[in-house]
Amino acid sequence: MTVDVGGIADFEDRRFRIVSAGGHEVGVLRWRDRFFAMHNRCPHQKGPVCLGIVSGHLSSPAPGSMELDEGRPVIACPWHGWEFDIEDGGSLWDDGYRVKVVPVRVEAGRVLLEVGKGA
Amino acid sequence: MVRPAGLTIRRPASAMYSGPVIDCDVHHARSTDAELIDYLSRGWREYVTDRGRAGNVPLTVQDGLPNPHGFMRADTYPEGGGEPGSDYPTMRTQLLDVSDVRRAILTFGDDSHLAGHHNPYFANELARAANDWSIDRWLTRDPRLMSSILVGTQMPEVAAAEIRRHAANPRMVQVMLVDNPFGYGFGHPVFHPMYAAAEETGKPVAIHGGAGGWANPPSTGGGSVNTYFETHVLWPQAIQTHLVSFIAHGVFEKFPRLKLVLIEGGSAWIASLLWRFDTEFKGLRREVPWLKRLPSEYFAEHVWVTTQPLEIAPKRENVVELLHSMGLEDRLVYSSDYPHWDADEIEYLSTRLPAEWHARVFVDNACALYGWKSAELMKPARPAAARP
Repeated sequence: MTVDVGGIADFEDRRFRIVSAGGHEVGVLRWRDRFFAMHNRCPHQKGPVCLGIVSGHLSSPAPGSMELDEGRPVIACPWHGWEFDIEDGGSLWDDGYRVKVVPVRVEAGRVLLEVGKGA
Repeated sequence: MVRPAGLTIRRPASAMYSGPVIDCDVHHARSTDAELIDYLSRGWREYVTDRGRAGNVPLTVQDGLPNPHGFMRADTYPEGGGEPGSDYPTMRTQLLDVSDVRRAILTFGDDSHLAGHHNPYFANELARAANDWSIDRWLTRDPRLMSSILVGTQMPEVAAAEIRRHAANPRMVQVMLVDNPFGYGFGHPVFHPMYAAAEETGKPVAIHGGAGGWANPPSTGGGSVNTYFETHVLWPQAIQTHLVSFIAHGVFEKFPRLKLVLIEGGSAWIASLLWRFDTEFKGLRREVPWLKRLPSEYFAEHVWVTTQPLEIAPKRENVVELLHSMGLEDRLVYSSDYPHWDADEIEYLSTRLPAEWHARVFVDNACALYGWKSAELMKPARPAAARP
C-alpha cells in the first residue's frame, strides 16, 4: 500500500517528521535531496528513536581522529544514545539490532511510503 | 559480546592439581641497597652514596598503608637473614621445587614502585639497574626463571629504549607497569611509546596491582582510604581504570599485536565490568569511533589475567560461572604472588577451579601469552638441575 505523507517542501532538511502509515508511527527524514523512513521504535527499549539527533556518520581511521561522512545519516535514539544507520536501520556496533526501515520514494514532488504487511 | 563455548557449571571437581606449572607472579627482592647500587652508573652511584650521616639517598619509595601482619609470609624470611624473596635457595626450596614449577616470572619487590619517584631521571637509572640486577643475580641461577622489565614510566620514550635494550633477551619476558606517574589511565597516548616498543619486541605489557596507588595515591575512586584493609579490598579499582583506559583509547587498534596481562587485581569482577563496558559503548560510541568492536571483544583477544588473589565465594561455582561467562578459562594464568602474605597455593587454587581448566590455567594460557610451546613445557622430565 502506498501512503502519501506530503510534499517535499513539507519536510525540513535533516529532521525527522513523524507520520502514521500502515498503523505504525513512521519517521520520515529529508537528508538534503534524499528521503529515508523508519519505524519510530528503537529495538532496545522501544523508545521513539526518530526523535533523537540526526547527524552524519562519525568514524575514525586511528585513535584520536574523527571523520564525518555526510553521505551516511545516522540517528541516535533519545533514550540511551544507541546509533543506527538511517539507510538500512542497522546499529553501528551490532547488525543484530536494527530499526525497521520503510521504502520511500518521491514522485511528482510527493513523498510516498510503501507500507505493506508487516511494514 | 564474547560467548564462550558451552560448559555446564557444576560444583567444580575438587581434584588437586599436581602437574607442571608456570607461575606468573613471583616477587624477587634484594636484601641491601648495595646489591642495586652495584648496577648504577658511576655518576648515579656517587649521587646515592657517601652522604655522611644522612646515609644513602633512598632507592625505593614506600608511602603506602602498613599491613599489620607485614607484607610477607612469615615463613619466607631466609634463615640466613635478608628479605623474603631475596634468597634464591630459599625460594627454590619453598616455591620452585616444592611443586613442578617449569617457569616462574619474576616481578620484583619494592623496586617495582620506581615510577613513584618524583625524580624521573633517577627512576630511569633505577629501572636500568634493577633489570641488570635481575638478569645477573637471578636469571643466571635457574633456567626456569624469567624476569619482568621495569621501566620509568615518567619518561615513556626512555622507557621504550629500555624495553628495546632487552629485545633480544627471551627471558626478559614482559614490560611491567605498577605506579602511575601522571594520573592518567595507562591507555593515555603519553604512554604509547612504551607500547610501540612492547609490540615491536613481542613482549606483553603487565599491569601489576598497586598501580596508581602505592607511591602516588589514591588508588581508589571516590577518595583515599585509611587502612590497608580498605585499600586491599579496592585494589582492583586501579586495574579497572587502566583496563578501561587501554581499550577506550584504542591502544589495541593502534598496536594490534599487543598483549596485556593484569596481575594481582582479581578476576571475578571482569564479567561485570565488561558487561557494563559493552553497554556503555552502545550509547557512547560517538566519543570513541576508533573502536571497531565491542570492548569485550578487545579484551578477549588481547588480555590475560593472573589468578591470585582468586575471589572466594561461599559457593565455588558462583566464581567459576562468572569467570566462564567471559571465557576466562582460556585467559587465566596461575600466579602464586610468593612470598607475599596473601599468596595462593597451587593445590588450594586447583580445588577452586574445575579440573578441566587446570592444564590451561597452570600451563597452556601462559604459553599463549608469552609465546612458549606448551608441549615442550609439559614434558615429564624436570628442567636441568638449578645451580645452588
